[in-house]
Amino acid sequence: MKVGETAVISTITGGKNLRLRLSGLGIRQGKRIRLVRAAPFRGPLLVEDVTSGARTMIGHGMAGSVEVCDHAPS
Amino acid sequence: MPLRDELVIALAGQPNCGKSTIFNAVAGFKVNTGNFAGTTVSFTETTVYLGGRTVRLIDLPGTYSISSHDIAEKEARDYLLSGNVDVIINVLDASLLSRSLELTIQLIEMSIPMVMALNMYDEAQEKGTVIDLSMLKALTGVEAYPVIAVEGTGVRELFEASIRVAREPFWPVQPVYDRDVEECMAEIAERYPAALKDALDMDERFVIIRLLEMDEEFEQRVRETDPGFLRFVLEKRRALAEMHNWPEAGVFASHRHAVVVDLFEQVARVIHKTGRSLRERIDHFIINPAGGFAAIIGLLFFMFYASFKLGDAISGIIQAPLDGLGRIVTGTAGGLAAVAVSGLYDGFVAGVGIVLPYLLPLLILMAILEDSGLLPRIAFMVDGLLHRFGLHGKSAIPIILGYGCNVPAIMAARNMEYERDRVLTMLIVPFIACSARTVIILALAGKYLGAAVTTGIYAGNILVALAVSFVLSRLQADPSPGIIMDVPPLRRPYPGLVAKKVWWRLKEFLAFAWPVIVVSSLALAFISHAGIDRMINGLLAPVTTVLLNLPEATGITLFLGIFRKELTLLMLNQALGSGDVSAILTPDQILVLVVFTVLYIPCIATISTLWKEGGWKVAFYSIALNTAVALLVAGSLAHVLNLF
Repeated sequence: MKVGETAVISTITGGKNLRLRLSGLGIRQGKRIRLVRAAPFRGPLLVEDVTSGARTMIGHGMAGSVEVCDHAPS
Repeated sequence: MPLRDELVIALAGQPNCGKSTIFNAVAGFKVNTGNFAGTTVSFTETTVYLGGRTVRLIDLPGTYSISSHDIAEKEARDYLLSGNVDVIINVLDASLLSRSLELTIQLIEMSIPMVMALNMYDEAQEKGTVIDLSMLKALTGVEAYPVIAVEGTGVRELFEASIRVAREPFWPVQPVYDRDVEECMAEIAERYPAALKDALDMDERFVIIRLLEMDEEFEQRVRETDPGFLRFVLEKRRALAEMHNWPEAGVFASHRHAVVVDLFEQVARVIHKTGRSLRERIDHFIINPAGGFAAIIGLLFFMFYASFKLGDAISGIIQAPLDGLGRIVTGTAGGLAAVAVSGLYDGFVAGVGIVLPYLLPLLILMAILEDSGLLPRIAFMVDGLLHRFGLHGKSAIPIILGYGCNVPAIMAARNMEYERDRVLTMLIVPFIACSARTVIILALAGKYLGAAVTTGIYAGNILVALAVSFVLSRLQADPSPGIIMDVPPLRRPYPGLVAKKVWWRLKEFLAFAWPVIVVSSLALAFISHAGIDRMINGLLAPVTTVLLNLPEATGITLFLGIFRKELTLLMLNQALGSGDVSAILTPDQILVLVVFTVLYIPCIATISTLWKEGGWKVAFYSIALNTAVALLVAGSLAHVLNLF
């Protein structure tokens, strides 16, 4: 996913706790998200829920367990 | 429900939805507020009189769901489950309604009387969200009130409704799930053991839902009462997950989410607005790598520079009247009484003349920083860098709060999900130059050594903290897991709230710290009169004179600094017998003294907080670590400077 692009979350792999924490913040399967920015030095990704505008940062490694499909330029 | 004399109302909601701001609107400024998730990490209660009733109002830490993760969230959950709450005020961020409703539905499942507060209603409107309040009430059975907590709008109506709801029977509309889910729950309910009803004393449907959500605590409690029933539930849960082809832990939550989406669509309409607002433009600049780092460094530099300049100016203005007062009071007594008078006077002056001028600007700037929403953005920017030192972005918040005071900063580490990160952050925070130490830095280094050296001390302070973190994290096997954190919109700090917050912190200084300073000053006056200070100085001489190249007389001041760090500075004049430190100490000695004071043993309040939050091992480890690092850094500095 490139910065500025939107995509739909297809699956979230990883453990129960990671999924729970992400869903608490509204990051769940089927949501369309926009990658707002990637922090420097392999820092977290800033992800925006396209419908609500809520923003969440997700650590670089953890973002790897969020799989997306249906890319679209924003 | 039998009416007790006292009504217990708990504020519950997701992090950063404004629970504490509502609490303060009713209780007066009693708990800290800020624009970042996790400002409140433990519950606070207060007694207020509302509508002729005594109400015990509880401010709980925010929690995204009833399934808790970190210590702060667990505290909220335990309180809600304790059975002591008469009414829940569910605070929702109206600008993030759909996410907020996820928790609302879970609270409804608990079947405790409830009222909804749709906070930040103005922001929701600004965003184009139109909410149908009567529809929301019709669909959930819970009354909903629009609130703008920062302005106090709607708070009165909210509490009137809460008291009314406590008197009436409460019938929330339980959400109806998919047929499969409802059938599964019905089958489980048929076998619900009577023993469990007695053991748990909670709504049956709620307990079943907790079990279907793989809530380990509930599983444990049911296992103790009726293991056969638990096996039956687990079987049903597995079957449900297989039927829906969903992981077992998430199958119920996914159905609840569907209910929430449906509810949201029926009560809210979003009219999208185009164009970027000013706040989005500023935000865009801050989270941009180049602009962001420049902004962060500039901001912190500005904070200390402004504190110094303002502090210096204020201190200059009040110096003359204080000196005048000094001449009057010292002339009034003789003998031992003179010792007492001068001790008291010095302590009084130290408070108003030295600490307050530097403390006040710093408190104001810290309050603005907390309320603006910049902290999560700083966490975002520095996360990658901090990882290389074994910390992560979330530690940035306690560390920056540490510049105000280490005590709340150590408490703020409760937001960290992993024990490893939490302990490491708690050990690093005491290295951060809190406001008391900033007063020392500004009043000594700022005054006598110049801006470049002062900036160098702050930079060096951070480098030492990072180096310590680097070494400590290498001693642990597992690397730090990543960060997941909410980034709220930037918000304009409200002058009224900033003023209240500053006053609240200032009161702490005036009520607790200042008396300690005055008493210590008095004690020091008598101690030196009796010659006991020479004993302490003698005992500390190996450290002060040999290791740090400082005059022996500084020993007592460093010793007093353990009680409150300001004391080191304040007692310096008394110990050296001169108001002008530069007349007695060389610039090199001033530098060594400042560096040592910034790094050595945290003050007593910090130590006791470390003990409470991390246990005695963490507290002792922290004392040893800080002392060792301070001796190493300041000692080598003293000897290196001596070579030139």
